[in-house]
Amino acid sequence: MYEFDWSSIPGALPFLWDGMKVTLVITAQAVLIGIVWGTLLAMMRLSPIKALSWFAAGYVNLFRAVPLVMVLLWFFLIVPEFVGQLFNIPRGTDMRLSSAMAGFALFESAYYSEIIRAGIQSVPKGQISAASALGMNYGQAMRLVVLPQAFRNMVPLLLTQGIILFQDTSLVYVSALADFFGAAYKVGDRDGRLVEMLLFAGVVYFVICFSASQLVKRLQKKYSTA
Amino acid sequence: MIKIANVSKHYGSFQVLTDCSTEVSKGEVIVVCGPSGSGKSTLIKCVNGLEPFQSGEIIVDGTSVGDPKTNLSKLRARVGMVFQNFELFPHMSITENLAIAQVKVLGRKQDEAIDKGLKLLDRVGLKAQAHKFPGQLSGGQQQRVAIARALAMDPICMLFDEPTSALDPEMVNEVLDVMTELAKEGMTMMCVTHEMGFAKRVANRVIFMDQGRIVEDDSKEEFFANPRSERAQQFLAKILHH
Amino acid sequence: MNYQWNWGVFLQPSASGDDTYLGWMFAGFKMTIGLSLSAWVIALLLGALVGVLRTVPNKVLAGFATAYVEMFRNVPLLVQLFIWYFVLPELLPTSIGDAYKQTNPVMQQFLASMVCLGLFTSARVAEQVRAGINSLPRGQKNAGLALGLTLPQTYRFVMLPMAFRLVVPPLTSEFLNIFKNSAVCSTIGLLELAAQGRQLVDYTAQPFESFIAVTLSYIIINVTVMTLMHKFERRISVPGYIGGK
Repeated sequence: MYEFDWSSIPGALPFLWDGMKVTLVITAQAVLIGIVWGTLLAMMRLSPIKALSWFAAGYVNLFRAVPLVMVLLWFFLIVPEFVGQLFNIPRGTDMRLSSAMAGFALFESAYYSEIIRAGIQSVPKGQISAASALGMNYGQAMRLVVLPQAFRNMVPLLLTQGIILFQDTSLVYVSALADFFGAAYKVGDRDGRLVEMLLFAGVVYFVICFSASQLVKRLQKKYSTA
Repeated sequence: MIKIANVSKHYGSFQVLTDCSTEVSKGEVIVVCGPSGSGKSTLIKCVNGLEPFQSGEIIVDGTSVGDPKTNLSKLRARVGMVFQNFELFPHMSITENLAIAQVKVLGRKQDEAIDKGLKLLDRVGLKAQAHKFPGQLSGGQQQRVAIARALAMDPICMLFDEPTSALDPEMVNEVLDVMTELAKEGMTMMCVTHEMGFAKRVANRVIFMDQGRIVEDDSKEEFFANPRSERAQQFLAKILHH
Repeated sequence: MNYQWNWGVFLQPSASGDDTYLGWMFAGFKMTIGLSLSAWVIALLLGALVGVLRTVPNKVLAGFATAYVEMFRNVPLLVQLFIWYFVLPELLPTSIGDAYKQTNPVMQQFLASMVCLGLFTSARVAEQVRAGINSLPRGQKNAGLALGLTLPQTYRFVMLPMAFRLVVPPLTSEFLNIFKNSAVCSTIGLLELAAQGRQLVDYTAQPFESFIAVTLSYIIINVTVMTLMHKFERRISVPGYIGGK
């Protein structure tokens, strides 16, 4: 039988914490950009201007058809080269983090935009009519009447997507970045304690994601009774 | 005040309105009725440009609704509208519902707008509900708030799109009472409704529509005493029987 | 950009000599399809079972099903994969573990990937199945019981046939996900599409062609699955009910 040895974990905690910070930074910026760019995409998708709506539909469908791993590989292996030549960035500059963040943000925007589009569509059409009948223009009707209601309906879904995103960040492993998972793997590999480190990483992810999803559930209940 | 001249509208090949013409003068109350699908709601929504139309002309207080150069938002700010499903904004309190367009569209000051809103709320008998949210009010109360919200914009006329048809029967009268009150004060009103009692009491004229056409456009006495078209006779027979 | 496009590279003999680079791509394509389909079978069977268990009155069974779903949903797929691949063989009794480690490494990669993807997806399938059952009108269950059917019979004849139809559209998106998620398995060295893409970049030095070809393959899989599922949805629609005519 396997004999567990957890002794390498305490010493590795500072290194793991640095990894967790990378994970959190990537998650936070992808959520923020995802929501902003996703909202714009959703509004384009619903706009009566054909060119905008086609662009948004193409963007969203493309990113939703391709695995995240593939997108990250594009942004790890190909995009930096391309951008580097375009802006004369010296060869060998480490663009892994910014590149991974860009990949995540662009990828997640497609998913956020679908959530937001559904949210906007869940607001009854009569609300836009009522806002227009009061003399509001399209922008005012969206900003003051439709989006506040849409976002209220969407809060739980947006948060749940945030939890999924947090888990997805572990895939930056493909670009050899030391996020939380990458750090855990490195330590385990170095000390020959991969079994313990992988289980430890699993438990940490579980505790964080499970608590977060319970919070979302409670929030959802509070909203639906209010 | 409102002039509708030869208005036609179609969705693809489906003709919704055909050559509709009528006029509403200041202080008049017009009831528009007809079977469902007759185009009456569409017609009233054309008056403030919520529905576009392909031919004809609608002039409201000297402004052409169909003219692409017209600033529709500006026009709508002066024409009040009440919807079948109330369409209060559920994420705002009653007070905020009353104030929002006054502040954002007319540029009134927040306190001024709230003051005005509360006065109108008092008028429809709901001052005590000011701090509540739409979801906490009954349908009849919500519709009265919606009327107050439209009045807060100091409209030159009011459009009602089946204001009582989503209500439970016991709440219909509280809304009709507010509308009757308004009519007595001389508000120009165009009301799509099946409430023939209201039409008899309050309307100056009744317009009957069928299959997208205005079939009758008469004084209420004439309309109820001897409707000329067969469709109107059948419609009245059905509606007055219960 | 001074990039030399060369689409002909796919027809050149590969580094291993006995194949073209197009052949590599096709091998990866077959691996992705085979892995995803076999994992999908596991996901459907286990997911349906666990989803039903989540709705039964028995507290122990329902509690077990809830724990199952929460466990697989709250740990990243990559971590789960590494645990199946690196950790589990170590935890087996020494003799079995050692024997397992002697088997064909590709087989080990494939097994770990299949079980991992299958169980991960089964938790998500279970959630959809549960939602489908819960969205049935309450009267349906009572009507079944009132006719004298037992609870299992009511599930079997009344609730599940209807829930199954409600659940097909959301399952379509899980089915699409399993193909996309299979790309994660490239991280343990399984030579599916994404891994072949990486190899192609290294061997051909034509990164754009390689990645465009692989990305297009995923898009083709996506569109094909969507078209097929759409046809299927229409075949099983119930007249007078959602999706029915």
